[in-house]
Amino acid sequence: MKFIDNLKNGLLKENPTFVQLLGMCPTLAVTTTASDAMAMGLATTTVLISSNFVISLLRKFIPSKIRIPSYIVIVAGFVTLIDIFMHAYAIDLYRSLGLFIPLIVVNCLILGRAESFASKNNPIDSIVDGIGMGLGFTWALTLLGIVRELLGAGSIFGVQIFGEAFKPAIIMILPPGAFLALGILIGLFNWIKSRKTTRV
Amino acid sequence: MGDILKLGLILLLITSITALVLGYANDMTKDVIVNVENQASEVARKEVLPLAESFKSLDKEILNKIINENPNIKEIYSGYSENGDLVGYTIKTATPGYGGDVEVITGISLENKITGIKVVSHKETPGLGANATQPKFQNQFKDKSVSKELEVVKGSPSSENEIQALTGATITSKAVTKGVNLAREIFINNLAK
Amino acid sequence: MDNKLIVSSSPHIRSDETISRIMLDVIIALLPATLASIYYFRFNALKLIVLAVLTAVATEALIQKLLKKPITVNDLSAVVTGLLLAFNIPSSAPWWIPVIGSAFAIAIVKQAFGGLGHNFMNPALAARAMLLASWPVIMTNWVTPGPEAVSTATPLAILKGEAANQVLPSLKDVFFGNVGGCLGETSAILLILGGLYLLYRGVINWRIPFTYIGTVAVMMLIFDGGFNNMVYHIFAGGLMLGAFFMATDYASSPVTPKGQIIFGIGCGVITSVIRLYGGYPEGVSYSILLMNIVAPLLDKYTSPRVFGEVKQNG
Repeated sequence: MKFIDNLKNGLLKENPTFVQLLGMCPTLAVTTTASDAMAMGLATTTVLISSNFVISLLRKFIPSKIRIPSYIVIVAGFVTLIDIFMHAYAIDLYRSLGLFIPLIVVNCLILGRAESFASKNNPIDSIVDGIGMGLGFTWALTLLGIVRELLGAGSIFGVQIFGEAFKPAIIMILPPGAFLALGILIGLFNWIKSRKTTRV
Repeated sequence: MGDILKLGLILLLITSITALVLGYANDMTKDVIVNVENQASEVARKEVLPLAESFKSLDKEILNKIINENPNIKEIYSGYSENGDLVGYTIKTATPGYGGDVEVITGISLENKITGIKVVSHKETPGLGANATQPKFQNQFKDKSVSKELEVVKGSPSSENEIQALTGATITSKAVTKGVNLAREIFINNLAK
Repeated sequence: MDNKLIVSSSPHIRSDETISRIMLDVIIALLPATLASIYYFRFNALKLIVLAVLTAVATEALIQKLLKKPITVNDLSAVVTGLLLAFNIPSSAPWWIPVIGSAFAIAIVKQAFGGLGHNFMNPALAARAMLLASWPVIMTNWVTPGPEAVSTATPLAILKGEAANQVLPSLKDVFFGNVGGCLGETSAILLILGGLYLLYRGVINWRIPFTYIGTVAVMMLIFDGGFNNMVYHIFAGGLMLGAFFMATDYASSPVTPKGQIIFGIGCGVITSVIRLYGGYPEGVSYSILLMNIVAPLLDKYTSPRVFGEVKQNG
């Protein structure tokens, strides 16, 4: 079951955020609300799937000496496409994600998958890898966004959860809160994983 | 030599195809983007000057002269009613707040009243200065006369020209009020006849 | 593997008896100021102090139990952390502020980095910074001492011109603590008393507190218009509490004499710069936290060379 393995790899075993610690810039910067975090994750997933597919198709055509500039051009092309279309059709999202959409280009996750997976595997497997890694990134970001938005603003996806009596801890939607929440979540993830392995 | 040429050509091919695709996408969305951007600003302008039905940017020469004298002024639009009469102006200002410039659109009617303000862009602290976008704060400016300078006070305001500061965010409150005051002065000195 | 080689910051020789003795001395030193805060701010102060201390101790015991480590709440260090945290809270704060603060100080700042002696920052101050960033309105809501508890501003805020139409309290009130402020920072004279006791007992030495206070005094004298303002800067606000009880924390300050002097001067400079040019009227907690981070570096560059040591790469 290579297909499922490839998918599970990104979602859990080699989760880009909690295990590989790749793409920390958007992880820390745009997870102030659950919806921003999820949008960022999905935008990255789209770029990752497309770039994995194209790079895998061209893997025999691109000489290894110029593979990095070629990958960057392809990734940057897809990112710019997303940027333009988001500006045209999702202006509010475009405004709140701001600079971080263009910055997907330099997200190490994307170049990392191009280099370590798409350039060595066939297009179908590369798409599956892109889906797994992308969704792994997305759920991690969304979870972080949910935790930070809940504690820092008292809501999830913009819906107020607690009543007026709850005084949100503003620090959670400030930069230090990103580090605190990420550290605790990584710790939790490792703890669950270590318990699983010792039991088996 | 031949190797370098070959590599260059391959890179050229990849970049050209990318450029082609991007050019096509840009062409497709160019008008849509201009439209949404305009629409968003139009909605904000209408919010602060509800009397007006349509807006037109101020004459370029006059606008440039005003901006040269007051670099904190960003845009000035004239608002017209349904039958084409001038009813007021919307003035966008950018004044330094706690985390960067705070951009405010102020609507002023020809009856010398502030019809509304809206904080359109800011980098203030969430939970404190960012509360400047809430209606509770912004509505304080509504229906104030332009003749008197507005002042920020802590606690409840005691006279007509006082604005109650946001709790814990005096700097932001002052930045917004400074922007509104600037708009007020421009209106008195340059626009009102 | 853990037991073969222990690499830690000083003090290297440890025994529970001395730790608890040191902590007991700190608690004794803090006692006058604690009583004063209860006298000035009544039941609220008592409630906040008890909650902070209880939460700190309970969190320490719980975390050590979860991590299957020996439970060391008897060393009293959690009590000191809880007490110091309570000293940094305004008396008008609701009950959950000291609870969250103490839990954060012990669980995140102290235990997550390895427990007593391993924290790289002062836990109470880090928790205060967290509380201040999270609930800025609650954490700066000062009230006057006494039964009425009317809303007021701290002397330093008045000095900075942040509170229009409020009169600066008299120096006498500032000395004895009859002013608005955090629970434990108001009474300068009682804090000095506690500090002198610690000096006498040898728990702390003069270097950090004296260079710290001295630097602030000199900078305020030069840059903030003279003697009168300087006196307020020294005795009002958190300087006494910070200089004697916070900056001298063993785990997060340098151990070398030269390092301690640089540490004290650094704290003083940062405090003065924040107070004079920054957005806050108070700067003690941030300056100590910032210097905590450079403390290991100060130790590294000021530690005396062992006699006869061969210079490396020489």
